[in-house]
Amino acid sequence: MDPGLLAQHVFNGLMLGVIYALVAVGFTLFFGVLDVIKFSHGDVVMLGAFTALAVSVGLTGGGVTSSPLVLAAMLVAAIASMALVGALLARLLVLPLRRAPAINVLLITLMAGTVIREGVRLFYPQGSNPKPFPRLLPGGSSELGAFTLRHDSAILFAVGVLAIVGVHLVLTRTRLGLAIRAVAQDPETASAMGIPFTATVLATFAIGSALAALAGVVNGLYYSEISFNLGLLLGAIGFSAAVIGGLGNVYGAILGGFLFAALQTIGAVALPFASAYKDVFAFAVVIVVMAIRPAGLLAERSAERV
Amino acid sequence: MTTPLLDARGLVVRFGGVTALDGLDLSVAAGETVGLIGPNGSGKTTFFNALTGFVRLAAGRAQLAGSDITGLEPRRIAAHGIARTFQRLRLLLELSVFDNLMLGQHLVLDHGPWSNLFVRRRFTAEVRRQAEAARALLAAFSPGLPARLFEPARALTMIDRRRVEICRALIRDPALLLLDEPSAGMTPDETAELMTDLLAVKAQRPALTVVIIEHDMAVIERVSDRCVVLDYGRKLAEGPYAAVAADPVVRRAYLGED
Amino acid sequence: MTSSVWPALAALVVSAVGVLALLLAEKQWAVIAIIIAAGAAMFLARRFDWNERIRRSGAANSRKVFLAAMVLVVGAAFVMREHNFALLMLCTVMLMMVAGLGLTLQFGQAGVVNFAGAAFFGIGAYAAAVFATKTALPHLLVILAGGFFAALIGSVLVLPLLRTRGHYTALITIAFGILFKTFLEVNDALGGPQGLKVPGFVLFGHAFNDPIEIDEETEWSFYLAYAGLSLLLVAAAYAFVRRLERSWIGLAFDAVRIDETAASAFGVNVAAWKIAAFSIGNFLIGVAGAAYAMMTGFVAPTSFTFGDSLILVSIVILGGLGSALGLIPAALVVVVLPEKLQAIQEYRFLLFALLVIVILLVRPGGLLPRALRDYRVGAPR
Repeated sequence: MDPGLLAQHVFNGLMLGVIYALVAVGFTLFFGVLDVIKFSHGDVVMLGAFTALAVSVGLTGGGVTSSPLVLAAMLVAAIASMALVGALLARLLVLPLRRAPAINVLLITLMAGTVIREGVRLFYPQGSNPKPFPRLLPGGSSELGAFTLRHDSAILFAVGVLAIVGVHLVLTRTRLGLAIRAVAQDPETASAMGIPFTATVLATFAIGSALAALAGVVNGLYYSEISFNLGLLLGAIGFSAAVIGGLGNVYGAILGGFLFAALQTIGAVALPFASAYKDVFAFAVVIVVMAIRPAGLLAERSAERV
Repeated sequence: MTTPLLDARGLVVRFGGVTALDGLDLSVAAGETVGLIGPNGSGKTTFFNALTGFVRLAAGRAQLAGSDITGLEPRRIAAHGIARTFQRLRLLLELSVFDNLMLGQHLVLDHGPWSNLFVRRRFTAEVRRQAEAARALLAAFSPGLPARLFEPARALTMIDRRRVEICRALIRDPALLLLDEPSAGMTPDETAELMTDLLAVKAQRPALTVVIIEHDMAVIERVSDRCVVLDYGRKLAEGPYAAVAADPVVRRAYLGED
Repeated sequence: MTSSVWPALAALVVSAVGVLALLLAEKQWAVIAIIIAAGAAMFLARRFDWNERIRRSGAANSRKVFLAAMVLVVGAAFVMREHNFALLMLCTVMLMMVAGLGLTLQFGQAGVVNFAGAAFFGIGAYAAAVFATKTALPHLLVILAGGFFAALIGSVLVLPLLRTRGHYTALITIAFGILFKTFLEVNDALGGPQGLKVPGFVLFGHAFNDPIEIDEETEWSFYLAYAGLSLLLVAAAYAFVRRLERSWIGLAFDAVRIDETAASAFGVNVAAWKIAAFSIGNFLIGVAGAAYAMMTGFVAPTSFTFGDSLILVSIVILGGLGSALGLIPAALVVVVLPEKLQAIQEYRFLLFALLVIVILLVRPGGLLPRALRDYRVGAPR
């Protein structure tokens, strides 16, 4: 294959990987503190993108023309409101079911995701149609042989990587991060040490959902289009990535995100069947990986105590 | 000397870097009741889990009545005639007492589709027979229990739950019964009552062999023929309760005296 | 203790009349009135403690009540003989119950999670389409082939399902569901996004898709024949699942679901029972899919999405996990209400999602929670 083309595929794959990793980190953080899967996460990504879109439509309609300003407002609004939504979902749906079978939490959040998805479809103006997402980043591109680097993509990639590094720093360098890790390790000991359990859980859900909002905006800017059902696939992919990496392991989730993107890219360009089969291929590999490493690649948790 | 019913040699279990069983040898003669004591983390429950196939042995062999059970799956070991209770009660709380006892009978019951689905007459007769057997066994523990056979296990008090768990292990007439701290979560009076029941059942079945883990020394003194003290996954002492309790090494390691 | 058959029979007749009225109601106010009446009936039953009496009467006379229910369905279908749409809904409810029985066996009894219910339904539907067009297999066997293929393709998932637990297992079925739908969309051999046509059911020379002509003026709906077929399937599936539940097999399933460790300590072969439940469940779901495809005449990938799997799961949760009886009201609510209440038609996914959330928060046992196992058919207690 032409090296320029190869570079192109690699970069596209990395770009997808960053989005997936942002989503997967949320899944794995939630699992870390509460041992639950919050499946509405993909729909929070979508809701974040739609919140940003609504803000941009509002501001542009109100006469604000400066792209950086609009973009900043979109990001702030999406991230802040999704952090709130995430914390609310945790407070209202996940925490009350703490003592119930784990599968109930998966179910209730699946249904919460459906509520969000249907809410957008029904109540956002013409919500059932795909929506153009504003192109607010500089449009130029650099060419290197067959490799075209769009500047907006490069910026998005950098933002995504920075956000992931940011999460890493929060988890390892701050008191909040320490609290999150302590609760993930052992909630009882953590509360005995004076770490407020509920507040830490809510903060974790807020952080994860803020990342989801960022992923939603990055996704919108990258594809220039969003639709109400983008969260379903993105949620399933993020979940897969977190599981392949090993639930509860943040670095595993990031690795899983890039791996899933790699699988899709390989499925689309390097295998002898139509590129439309890329998701079939990627999910099939996920199932096979689960059969071989039932607790993910970087599994942390040991077997259940007898 | 006859071959012991249970013969475990050089059992080693490691969790990561921790050695939970460190070359443990333990044999139990048929009909004997052995008390297993030792400080927390000395490997008592791990010994049970290793015997019943729930944790993997790094080394060592275990034989039951002459046949090798080392490394078998839990369900295969159960088929060799070992039944157990769990330190943290593992009753199926949402099912009836009868269902719980019938889990104990799983290996005996006929699961074929023919009798289960089509010729229900035979099945119903079997249910009736099993219910009678279950009532008789429960009655040996508490006169009130048989009447509660078809109530959910959740509705029972702690001591009754313990009784049912022990009955579940006993109902198939196992060769070896492993009791993991039956007094946990009960008052001393309740514990004494349960032990009286256990001794009565044992008196009726002289062939039954029991290994019992207990923290309550009064229980051990009362029920065990012989006592084995574990510490750091090794056998610290062994012998009749009085001798073991008097052993200065044991007193230092376990009974908290210096 | 003997208990009279009448309370259960009365409850059954009242419910059947209510359902019939709902299926035939055309005016919105009538639909709303029936729903309010149903709510009032439930309130009264609770207020005067009829529920327990009805339950006991039903449990003691299960065979008679079962036969009576079948007779009532036949009667209702006959009343609706000239109403295509009402009969279609009745058939759909019954086939959804067949699928729900499969799912509740997996999910509610053996604890094998399956979020790909729509995929196995789809496998049955596509298998029916292929077998009915490409082979001369008698159509009754085509329907069984649908179930067989669902179980067969499901067996691909057996190894990963056995090796994983909880959330990891859930992911495998979710991934499979998405994979299956994507596969259908991009695969030309199976019609791609347009799907396939499925020939109507033919039994002993009678084509089910032909209207039934009685005389010059009267013509009965061809769905009447499908109602008979659906009733046959649902009655067989229901009796089968109920007997399974009340047997040592059902106990083994429960033990596997509640506590694998305790189960294996008493010799239960956890893997084998999980495989059995998963395969039997998929078979039932596939049978439902095959019959549904032959009734509606076509299959397309858009009917087998993850959202549809969630609808199936909703039916099972709404009725009560593991509860076969609960599937009846649950399937009625999920299938019929949105069709009948135009006001909510558009909002149905939203409303069901909210409904399931409320159920999980306040009544996790569902509408008719599964009762304690009752082995006897006449055993003394």
